[in-house]
Formats: sequence, structure tokens, C-alpha cells
Amino acid sequence: MSSSASLPPHNVTEDDGVRTIDVAGWTISATTKAIVTASESDALQKTLGFPLPEMTFGNNSLVLKHSASGWEYRFDTHEALKCVKNGELGEGDGGVKVGYADAWLKSRTDPDSSSPMPKTVPTKPYDWTYTSAYAGHCSSNPDIASSASADPTNPSHTIPLAELTRPDPILFYAEIPLYEDELHDNGSSHFVVRIRVMPQCIFILSRFILRVDGVLFRTFDTRIYHSFVNSSCLVKECSGWEAPYDKVKQFLPGRHDLSPLTDANFISKSLTQLPKSLAQGSGAGTGWRALGITTDIIQLTSSSQT
Amino acid sequence: MPSDLDNQIAQLLRCEPISEAQVKQLCLKAREILIEEGNVQVVDAPVTLCGDIHGQFWDMMELFKLGGFCPDTNYLFMGDFVDRGYYSVETFLLLLAYKVRYPDRITLIRGNHESRQITQVYGFYDECQRKYGSANVWRYCCEVFDYLALAAIVDGRVFCVHGGLSPNLSAIDQIRVIDRKQEVPHDGPMCDLLWSDPDDIQGWGLSPRGAGFLFGGDITKSFAHNNAIDLIARAHQLAMEGFKLMFDQSLVTVWSAPNYCYRCGNVASILELDEHLGQEYKVFRHAPSDVRSVPAKRPPAEYFL
Repeated sequence: MSSSASLPPHNVTEDDGVRTIDVAGWTISATTKAIVTASESDALQKTLGFPLPEMTFGNNSLVLKHSASGWEYRFDTHEALKCVKNGELGEGDGGVKVGYADAWLKSRTDPDSSSPMPKTVPTKPYDWTYTSAYAGHCSSNPDIASSASADPTNPSHTIPLAELTRPDPILFYAEIPLYEDELHDNGSSHFVVRIRVMPQCIFILSRFILRVDGVLFRTFDTRIYHSFVNSSCLVKECSGWEAPYDKVKQFLPGRHDLSPLTDANFISKSLTQLPKSLAQGSGAGTGWRALGITTDIIQLTSSSQT
Repeated sequence: MPSDLDNQIAQLLRCEPISEAQVKQLCLKAREILIEEGNVQVVDAPVTLCGDIHGQFWDMMELFKLGGFCPDTNYLFMGDFVDRGYYSVETFLLLLAYKVRYPDRITLIRGNHESRQITQVYGFYDECQRKYGSANVWRYCCEVFDYLALAAIVDGRVFCVHGGLSPNLSAIDQIRVIDRKQEVPHDGPMCDLLWSDPDDIQGWGLSPRGAGFLFGGDITKSFAHNNAIDLIARAHQLAMEGFKLMFDQSLVTVWSAPNYCYRCGNVASILELDEHLGQEYKVFRHAPSDVRSVPAKRPPAEYFL
């Protein structure tokens, strides 16, 4: 296999945390900068209305621009956080409490409690797990593209795993964290976007991953695949998964070392090994609305074939 | 001739772990010293206050270069020595060796990461297993964690704690009667000291997580007033600028892990209190990558699916 012979012309540039590749009629920019400063944090918090994740990479983004049509698709921190529920959590929001919340409250409210509850003031309600079913967003005129459900019988409407498993040279790779929070050591919440540009395709995995210790695991993945061979369409697959904590924990190789539970690959692999009726059906019983898989085809309508 | 302990300190300063037998001895001696300390350790100024380190050994070396090495400088570390960074073992053992060698020149108080349960998830357990091939070193260290002081008070005027205040502890004397020699509990005043956070509210708030407290500026000021203190210094929360003053400067968060988790890009700080308790914040950056021997800034390309 002489893959080097078939490399498409491409150009990678890098400037102050922004890496860009021009390839096959696309300009793709990955911006990875430090977490927000105190003043940026205050401003962002004001627009969102809830406390920010501990590590908010507020200036990070991934932008794909299709030169011929002007269509642009973007992943950024601000929009990802806008999908986090602000206010009292309701049906479908999948709200949870930390594992020891009931015991904690009981220890404070028992009539003979040694450390009784003080008078408290209401605090801002919001989803402290920062769960976000954000799948990126179109940042150009949306009319340039049309989106429709994929036809499951059409092989070009699926993400070709065989092609993506092939060890072709990676022309461009970026890992773009949008936000992270350790949930005060009650677990962790991560939102990371990754991209690899291959000789024949673009592949993106945007992943929200949540662990609440003793309670549950939850992921929301968005995969976007675009083949340079069919330059006018993209496959977008979104999938939400959830399972009670112990269902994932049972896959641990050792009894004492819990560190695989902090590994995104271990978690997502475990979730896919569970029965679908659990991981994409009943989940952890939170009623989170994003469970399941949807696949869409984005057709760039005014794209001029090159 | 340098003592064994001096040799161990020299070795640890090069970020080389000492042997398991040496760790066992060191932890035993440390416990003998720590058991004599009160829950609220009394410290004399001048002293330099440090926040979370999280196993970022080479960044702690930057801290010492800036603030002076022990015992030349008197230090107070406000917990979270371990987890997340690559060198929790060397970081904690160096601080512990300093404690045993110069007990009056360094004070270590407990953070919420100095706990069996937390270290099993966030890396310290795993690192001990990897570097020693067994969990013994982790076990010895956890036994030391149970003896660490819960708070400190500098010249009677600056109250230092890892997390924050507790609604059940309005007087510092009430902290002194807690039985601290245990794993960090999930509830009660000891838990609050290591976990609670200041917030822009009035009074006490319940965390939206369903457990734990938030405390407002009025609570902070009345605690300061009732206990005749000028400042509450705490750690526990990342501050992009290395420190964050709140509530008319009655409370400060000090953060001492620059470029936290090797990717946040934040600066860190230490707070130097002079003999009159004058405050000077010294800000520092992370160690240059060539000495840190941590994975490259950019993650390697991966065939993710």
C-alpha cells in the first residue's frame, strides 16, 4: 500500500494556539488556548447564568469551512455550555445528586443530629454535572446545507469503520478540550472534541463524558465523517449512553485500582458492551432525553463539485 | 556527615523515589510528630502559604526556587499534595521528609485528596502501584493522612484551611475538639472544613450537588470577627491568576499548581506573610518542559473511532 503516493495536497499552519489545515477544499482550524482568565470567566458566567466548570477553555474551538459553498460548522465552548440546563432540572434533563446526598442530608436533618442543618438560602439551580448534548452547530448561512435522517439501507449513509481503522497517515490531528470539571471530586465531567484528517476523509469525535462516583456514567458522542470522494455530504451520528455506576465498574480488570474509571475509552467501551436496552434505554433511570442513536446526512446544497 | 534523612531529601529533590522500607520508616516518624500537633496547628509568622500542588513535582521546585527552600523559608501547605500530577509519590514524600527533618519549619494540613477513597480514583494509588509494585506505600501514606492537622492559625490572626467554613463550627476552639484521626468523613464539620467553598451569596447555601455547603461573605466576616482574625486563607479551587481575594479581602484562595493537570495554562501563587502579617502574593509559572519530563504538550495523534 503506497499511501504516500495518494496524499492529497495539503498545507498545515500554526500560529499562537491556532492550527489550520487546508485540504480538499476545506479549511479546518483547531484553537487550543488556556482556560479563561478571571475577567473572561466573570463575563461568560454572566451570559450563561450559572457557575462555570472549573476548567473552562472558553477560547477553544474547532471550525470547518467548506470553501466552495461557504458552509461552516463549529464546535466551541460557549455553545457547548449553552446546552447545559440552567435553572431547576425537569423531566428529560437527567438530573442527579451525588452518591451520598441522601445520607448527607439525613445526617444533617435527623432530630438527634450532632451537626444540625443551619438556615440556608436558596442557591442557583443548574445542572452541576454540566451535561451537554451539544453536537456542534452551523455557523454560516444554514440554507447552504440541508439535513435529513440517514437511510439505514444506504451504505454511504454510515460511518465506514473499516476505512477509519486503516492505519493511513494522519495529515492533521487535534484534541480540543472545551471544558472539564471534577465535580468537587464526586466524579468528572469532560467535553473534548477530536479531529483527524486522513488522506481520504475528515473524522471528528466530539465527546461529553460524565462520571458521578457511585451513581452513574453518561456519554454523548457526536461523530462527523466526510469523505473527500463524495465532497458534498457529511454523515453526523449522535449517540447518548448511560448506565448505573456498578454496571461499568464490573468491567474493571482489578478490584482496587479504580483509575480505568477515569479513562474515557474504558468508559465508552464498557457502555457499548452493555445491552442496548440498558445503556441506550433505561440508562441509570434518570430519564435523560438524549439516550439512543440518531444519524443524519448533511448535504451541502450549493456546493460546486470539484 | 549527612544523615540518612538528609540523603533521602537530596534524593527526593532529584525526583527519585526512596525505597519502600525508607517510606515505612519515614511515615512512622511523621506520625509521631503529627500526632503531637493540634487539629488547628499554631504557626508563627513569617510564613509562606501554599495551595494545592497535586503531584506536580517540578512545578513545586519552581515554587521553592521562588519562595526559598525549606528550612530557609517557613512553609504552610494547605493540602492536596497528591493526585492528578505525575509525581504524587515524590511530592508528598519530599514534604513529609521536610516535616520530619524540620518539624518547626513546615506545616502540612489535610486536603480532601489526602483520603483513601479519593486517591483510589484520582491517581495516587495507581502511581504507588506502578512505582513500587504494591499498594504498601499508598497504605503507609494514607495512615499519615489521618494524622494531618485540619487547619492552622498564623499568629492568631490568619486562619488557614483547605476548603472553608462549617455551619457547625463558629469558633476555632470547636475545631480543636474534633477527633481527626480517621478517613475524611462524608458529612459533618470535618468534611466541611476540607470541602466547602465560598460563594457570592448571603448566609449558607446548599451545593446543587446535593451535599456540601457554600458560604457567603457575611458568614466569612462574622467568623473572622468572632475569632478575632484578619484573613481566612484557603486552597481547593483553581484560580487562573494564582489567587483570588473575595469578600472585601477577608478571604483568599491560594492556588499553587501552575498549568494545572499540565494543560490549563494558569499561573500559580504563594502568599508570603511577613512578621507583621503583611501579605505579598508571589506568582509563578510552570517548570519548562525540558525539566518536567511530562508528556508533550500536544497529545499524540490517535486513531480514535
